[in-house]
Amino acid sequence: MQIDIQNELKKIKNDSDHVAFKIVKESTRDLSVRNEIPQKIQTYEDYGVMIEVMRNGHIGYAATCELNSESIQNTYKKAVEMTSHLSQHAVTEFNSSVRPPSKGHYISKRTVGLDQLSLAEAYDFLKTLCKELRCNSLIKTAITDTMIVETEHHYVSSSGADFLQNFNLATVSLSSTAVDSRDSQTRTFHGGRGLCLQAGKEYFDLSRYLNDCQTISKEAIELLKADNCPDKTCDLILSPDQMLLQIHESIGHPLELDRILGDERNFAGWSFVSPDDFGQLQYGSSLLDVTFDPFVDNQFASYNFDEIGNPAEKKFLIEKGLLKAGLGSLESQFRSGLPGVANSRSMSWNRAPIDRMANINVEPGTESLEELISRVDDGIIMFSNRSWSIDDYRRKFQFGCEYAKEIKNGQIGRTLKNPNYRGITVPFWNSLAGLTHAGTIEKYGSPYCGKGEPSQIIRVGHSSPYALFKNIDIFGA
Amino acid sequence: MNLQTAIYKKYFSDLLSKFSESIDANEEAVFTLRSEQNTFVRFNHSKVRQNTSLDQHIIMCKFQKNKRVVEFGFQLVIDLTTDLNKFLCFLNDSRIQMSKMDASSDYTPINSVLKSESIKKINRPPDEQIIPWICDQFKNVDMVGFWCSGPVVEISANHLGQYHYFESDFFFFDYSIYSGPRAVKSLYSSELWSEVNFKNNINQSIQKLALLKKDLKTLNKGSYRCYLEPAAVDEILSTLNWGGFSQAQYKQGLSPLKKLIDKDCALSGKISLTENLTLGLAPNFNSIGEVVSEPLSIIKNGQINNLMTSTATALEYGIESNYAESSEFIKSLDLAPGTLSIKDVLEQLDTGIYLSNLHYINWSDRSNARLTGMTRFACYWVENGEIQGPIQDMRFDDSIYNLLGKNLIDLTIERELMVKTGTYFTRTLGATLAPGLLVDDMNFTL
Repeated sequence: MQIDIQNELKKIKNDSDHVAFKIVKESTRDLSVRNEIPQKIQTYEDYGVMIEVMRNGHIGYAATCELNSESIQNTYKKAVEMTSHLSQHAVTEFNSSVRPPSKGHYISKRTVGLDQLSLAEAYDFLKTLCKELRCNSLIKTAITDTMIVETEHHYVSSSGADFLQNFNLATVSLSSTAVDSRDSQTRTFHGGRGLCLQAGKEYFDLSRYLNDCQTISKEAIELLKADNCPDKTCDLILSPDQMLLQIHESIGHPLELDRILGDERNFAGWSFVSPDDFGQLQYGSSLLDVTFDPFVDNQFASYNFDEIGNPAEKKFLIEKGLLKAGLGSLESQFRSGLPGVANSRSMSWNRAPIDRMANINVEPGTESLEELISRVDDGIIMFSNRSWSIDDYRRKFQFGCEYAKEIKNGQIGRTLKNPNYRGITVPFWNSLAGLTHAGTIEKYGSPYCGKGEPSQIIRVGHSSPYALFKNIDIFGA
Repeated sequence: MNLQTAIYKKYFSDLLSKFSESIDANEEAVFTLRSEQNTFVRFNHSKVRQNTSLDQHIIMCKFQKNKRVVEFGFQLVIDLTTDLNKFLCFLNDSRIQMSKMDASSDYTPINSVLKSESIKKINRPPDEQIIPWICDQFKNVDMVGFWCSGPVVEISANHLGQYHYFESDFFFFDYSIYSGPRAVKSLYSSELWSEVNFKNNINQSIQKLALLKKDLKTLNKGSYRCYLEPAAVDEILSTLNWGGFSQAQYKQGLSPLKKLIDKDCALSGKISLTENLTLGLAPNFNSIGEVVSEPLSIIKNGQINNLMTSTATALEYGIESNYAESSEFIKSLDLAPGTLSIKDVLEQLDTGIYLSNLHYINWSDRSNARLTGMTRFACYWVENGEIQGPIQDMRFDDSIYNLLGKNLIDLTIERELMVKTGTYFTRTLGATLAPGLLVDDMNFTL
């Protein structure tokens, strides 16, 4: 059954300030293979409609998966009744400026659509990679998995908005766990599901991954015999697949304007950033440029519009270390008077949109990785996130990585296991002392950024070069 | 049961019968259906930020043939022809795709024909009355919170006629009240709506908030004697539940509690932990319809007694199943009480930190079961049994073999029942029943 939401919108007797219908149809195939045996082969279709109404300046929502005309009309009535009733208790009285009448479309960059990849083909792909991972008897558990998502959002509103966005998204994960009589060590392909992109069937080309399988398993075995990361204060180089977490937790979340406005204080947390900090706070060293960039080809959270129709554009959040703009939607900009971006997003048709990250990227420097390493007398380079924890104000963090190498006198040395580091957000970013050039940038992300009440996950993208930080507390197990 | 829920109940039964008729003699299928009619209201500054009404009905089918397994699912439209056609479309595609795959480690023989029904209804005022009432109760304080209500239905059925039906009308109000940057967090949820008890809960929070107006104490990193309220204990237990009690994780070399399971390390003899579905807040059947009728001891007197073992894991490793969910998480955590009375907590803490909540806990060293996380909400510095004032947030980093092991002093006699407040995708069913916990030398690093 296909529902024409433009037609459904026309059927309602609209006496609201604003009405919008958003229909989302999403197909997800989730597969995992352990030791060459299928572990999970799952297909799921999510399909429903979200109706938003503005009554007396208050915006409320009702949603249903019962996609027939009668249910949609009843759902609209529910939205109107509840929202009208609660409008006298609303935090904010919005106006129509927070729902622009945008028109247009977006389609993920791809060569061949993911609909051309069958479930059995995806399984064969994972099985082959899993076999490659099990190259040594010390590899007790090899797991490969993928998530393949095709999704379409269509939004229409009483103010004339009408836009359609079509995404193809994929993750590929590889994991090898080596076990001996004393220890167990896991090495993955860029940390869990860190390798996630908007892409088509071409992403499932075995030749892109086979060499990495060998490397991952070799490094997992290498870690069994490695020394523990020492406890000390020294220089730290983070690889792009750890920078993704560092950016996400200590730049992305604290800059969300709905957090700064206090909406998340009961769940995800508040922020150490105050409204007065914009334009004033030296968030990082002068090397630090951070952008909200929705137009990076294939990055996981690229789009043309956020989910309330705000046209997306690239914007500097931090420029030369100075805090310039927050991650706030039109609603948060209206409430706070602060500059923001197009980031009102929701998990699906069944959640109201809130301020979310999308592509939040650290812009490149000029050095090669070799030049960066040569500047370190005593330090460590860490790869691939495996543990993360940060306080509710996004100040005090502690992150762990899978794999590290010691650096002495500008040279890479021994392998170290269980590497961790901790710090405080603003001093940490102000200790940034070097970034590698644009050619070293790697694109990662996460399908699972959690936030909101009711809770929702969202897809985020983070790209970064390698980064050098001075005088960081590191420690091992 | 409201009229709408009764209509859905009949529809689901008819639909699942139709689905079962489509399964051939050499095939097996088990169905899990989750239906929710939710009211979600989030508050900020004691006013309504967003309200959402949501009806969703999710069907999942675990389909098996020749030991191949494919799982598929979709949202129901609630139209018999449309939903059946979509099911048949998925089923036929699964038949084609699985013929090109290998036998799965997730295969479990399906043979149950059991039936059960559990319906829990809570008489309470309608949401339209409750929400303005909440705003009014907090009009003089800065409240941020979340109201969640409405019936949740979970059904497990199979092609042989098994049919388990669980319906709960549970609600919760999860909130914090703030004074500047400091806050008290609380939860009101009950199987018997009581405006008096709800008001008492709010008043207790407001009284606690007054203590936070004392001068802030900034502590140095180091080790401190600490009391953890049940909510903080729940945070730790929830992290351990993240693979720690899973048989499959252990067998695959991934368990963070390997040293406990192998008896290389021990917890205090005061620690006994049970999967207790008799708390009644989660169905006593799992997603393939296996029924757990008795509490299952996981840790007894500090030693692992059982690991959560699904039938798929049991078949793979030739051991006995205890009908755990495929994720092998504990759904209803029950931590046994100790001998410390709550009224004596401050006196027994003497000098140290009173922790009401912990936040964002993660493993800092999985193989040694070391955790890190932050203090959050109302946490106080206590001297000679007297609360001196709130502390600046601190990061802890300590092994479970210290916190629940050699440094554990006692647990409280009184325990708190905390319903799960998770709402990712669907509403989480389950609860934690936990005491508070007094511990020596908890390690803080930042």
